This record gives sequence, structure tokens and C-alpha cells, in this order.
Amino acid sequence: MRDLPTSLDLLALGRQMLLDELLPLLPPERHRDAHLLATVMAIVAREARNENGWQEDISGLLRDLYGDGAEAPELETAPGPTLAGRQGRNCAPPAAGGRGLPGSPGGSSGADRLLRRLARNLRNGAFETSPSRAAAARAILWQLTIAKLREGNPHFLAANGFDPAGEQGK
Amino acid sequence: MAATALPRSEAGPGDRQRALAQFLAGASGAEAAAVVRLELLAGGAIQENWGIDAEFDGGALSGRHRLVLRTDAATGVPSSLGRVEEFAVLQAAYGARVTVPEPLFACADPAVLGKPFFVMRRVGGSAAGRSITLDPSLEAARPALAERLGRELARIQTVRPPRADLDFLTVAGPARQIAEFRAYLDAHPAPRPVLEWALRWAETHLPEPLPPVLCHRDFRTGNYLVDGTRLAAILDWEFAGWGDPDEDIGWLCCKGWRFGRLDREAGGVADRAHFYRGYEGEAGRRLDPARVKFWEVIANIRWAVIAMQQSDRYLMGGSRSLSTAITGRRATECELELLMLLDPAGAAQRVAAHA
Repeated sequence: MRDLPTSLDLLALGRQMLLDELLPLLPPERHRDAHLLATVMAIVAREARNENGWQEDISGLLRDLYGDGAEAPELETAPGPTLAGRQGRNCAPPAAGGRGLPGSPGGSSGADRLLRRLARNLRNGAFETSPSRAAAARAILWQLTIAKLREGNPHFLAANGFDPAGEQGK
Repeated sequence: MAATALPRSEAGPGDRQRALAQFLAGASGAEAAAVVRLELLAGGAIQENWGIDAEFDGGALSGRHRLVLRTDAATGVPSSLGRVEEFAVLQAAYGARVTVPEPLFACADPAVLGKPFFVMRRVGGSAAGRSITLDPSLEAARPALAERLGRELARIQTVRPPRADLDFLTVAGPARQIAEFRAYLDAHPAPRPVLEWALRWAETHLPEPLPPVLCHRDFRTGNYLVDGTRLAAILDWEFAGWGDPDEDIGWLCCKGWRFGRLDREAGGVADRAHFYRGYEGEAGRRLDPARVKFWEVIANIRWAVIAMQQSDRYLMGGSRSLSTAITGRRATECELELLMLLDPAGAAQRVAAHA
């Protein structure tokens, strides 16, 4: 019901204008900023095109990995992240000077809880006695990483020999 | 960039410039000194570097000199040394014949500029990563540059504890680093299973400890100056500490520092063989690929955490910088590299699917 052109079309036109028409007018020391803005616009477009497709694939793989226990009550009480984490010398979160750190997108979803469970299990070496589950967990890591880079930096994927756009690598 | 005002203090720019001139005169034993030119140099998200042309009337530096004043930027990070400490590390490196700008004076007194700073000689050249890795005019010189970097690193490692002048440096072995990375992930709302998987690998593959040496901890392309085709100076010692001799090797070879030349594994400059040859020749120690791999894994985890910390500055630090906010996305690049390093069969399978 929205009017045309679509927001993605407008975004693409705006990005083209930025790169072709505005960037040449900027002083050289701002060219990097203009390219950065163009990169952000490209990421937004790729994410919008994909909607939630790959997240649903990852959710499915996580449910397969955890089977019937995927929604076990113990997951609901799993320790979540805390901003009062210890102040490691090299890793302390920056001093709060602005707003609080929000949760990750979809942070309360079942998929997010399963991803957190996977992270916790990997930390503890939970799959190391089961080659098949270890392989299934690794496959999720690969798919998650490739999917994020397809949106965030497909050039980096291509430079490393991976398909920046296709469905391989699942 | 045009000359501009020195950083914060209660006094105005003219007063600060006079206070600096007075400090330079006192520190160098000159009857008087004058700051005749001042410019904020490019780069330095954590530190500010100011180019200074100063005239000294008598004393150790009599005459006109090009100097650099280094002080904190508005937003420091918790892991960097203070400027007076960094000055002491620079002095130690200079004493070990590492190619660094000659350190001249340090000032801890906030009355001069409002915050501590140090002064070193200004060295010509460029540290721009992409220029160093991609400029065609450097093509023939890059293998020698990589070899030279290896020799420089070996010289850095001749500085070893205990050192009374460096007693503020701490030892950060791999187990401590792993614990700190995990603590960071615990404090972060977004789960990072790839980093957890890599940390588990690191935890279960800790190398036999070697006697600690001075680690630069940011020894990489982008942090050294190249003047023409020669290495002119190793810069940015703010993360230095005692650590494993292979830590800086893993950091330099980490894929995140190859600036458009992923195929050149030694900092985007040349093959590892050139860098290793320089290092081994100077250090008299053969490098063990398994140990280097370990530290490369740690390097990628560290890079990912640093990238996430940059986005944290937007998410909870109040920064409105687009460049800072987007850097966290680079953590996924490190995660791909970790998967490639630790699951080469999985990588080959997925690359083959694309071919």
C-alpha cells in the first residue's frame, strides 16, 4: 500500500547521488566519510532485502541442535549479560557517559536464547565428546558468520574466496 | 591542516603556547624557546599528536627543531598507558636501537597543558596502511620492509623484565587475556558463539610459556612510518606490556592489518617468510608455526573485541561518530578468519562450493 518508488529504490538513488554528485564536491579529507556513509546505505539496503530470512534459518538449525530441549525452562533462567561485568584491563566496557547499552535486536526471542545457549556450551566445550553435535555447532557458526558478512561486508567474503551473494556455505 | 589551538587548559591558546615554550626551554636547558608553528596531525583516535616547530636559544637543542607533542585525546581507552609511561617505553625502545622517534621530554604537570604529554623528534614519512600496502612505487621495496620489521621486532624483544624504569608494565599472558575477553563477552548483550568457540580452542591449546619480553601490542601496518621506501619509525607504544615473544608476530600477521592485500600475510606488505627471516636472523630464535597460529587466533579475538568496544562507545559511551559506531561490524570479519584458521576443512568445503 506504500507509494512507489520503494524506500530501497530511493536509498539506492540517494547513494548514487552521494557517490557520483556530492563526493566530488567534498574536500579530500571528507571523502572517507562519504564512502563510509555509502557503505552504511548499502548495508541498510542489504539487510532490508533479506528481512529475517537467514535468522530463521539459524533458528531452525539451533532447534535441530537442541532438539526437544530447545525451549527447556532452564533456558529462561540462564544467566544473561550484565553491564556490571568485571573491569578487565583490556576489555572494560567504556565508562557510561550516554545512554545505556540496549539489548541486541530480538534479544528476548527464543532464537536469541538458543544462540546464547550455544555460546555458553561452546565456552564449556559441551560438544567436544560428540563429533556429530560439534560438527552441527560448527555448521551454525559458519552459516551465521557468512550470513552476517553477506549483509555487512560481502567484499570481504569474496576476497576470502566465499560466495558473497549465493546460498552456498550452509 | 592550519595551526590551531593546543588542547584543554584553563588558559587561552596563547598562554598555553607560552607555557609549552617555557616548558621546552626548561627541559632542554635553553635560555628561551619559542613555538613557531603548531598543527594537529592526522589520526590518533586515542591520542592527539601535535606537530611543533620550535626554536631553542641555547641548551641541548639549540636551534630550530621539528617535534611532535603527544597527549591524550578526549576519549581514551582503559587499556592504554599514560603518556609519561608511554614515554618511558619509548625511551627503552630507543635505548634498544629500535627505530623510533627520539624521545625528548615528558611532562606530568597538568599546569602546563592541562594533561600529561611528551615530546619527541618529528620523523618524516607516512603511516597510511593502504598507501604502504598498495602504492606501486613501494612494490620492489616491500620484501625488505617486511624483513626490517622482523628485525625491529626482535630488537624490541631485547627489552626484558625486570626493568626499574618500566616497573609499571604488567604481564598479560594468554590465560589472563582469555579471561578478560570472556569477561567482556559476559558484559555484552549480544552472544558471540564464534568468539566463544575460538576462546575455548585457545584455552585448550595454550602454548608453553616463554620468558616475557616487551610487547608493543599494536605492532602492525598503520603504526609505523615509511619514508620513501625505508622504515622511518615504529609508532604508538601506548598498549605496550610484558608478554609472549610471539604475540606481536601474531598481531602483525592478523588478517585485519593487511589493508587490501590479504595475500600478503606479513601486514599486507610481503610473505611471512621475509618477515620471519628478519626476525629469526636478529632474534636468533626459530619461529614455531603452531605458536604463531595460537597468537594469531588471539589477535583475531582481540581485534573483534576492540571492534565491538568501538561500537560500545556509541551504544553506551555517548559517541555520535558514525565511524566509531560501524566499527563493531568488523568483528564478524575476525570471526570468519577464526573459522578459517581453526576449521580449514570447513573453509575449503565452503570455498569449493563457491568455485
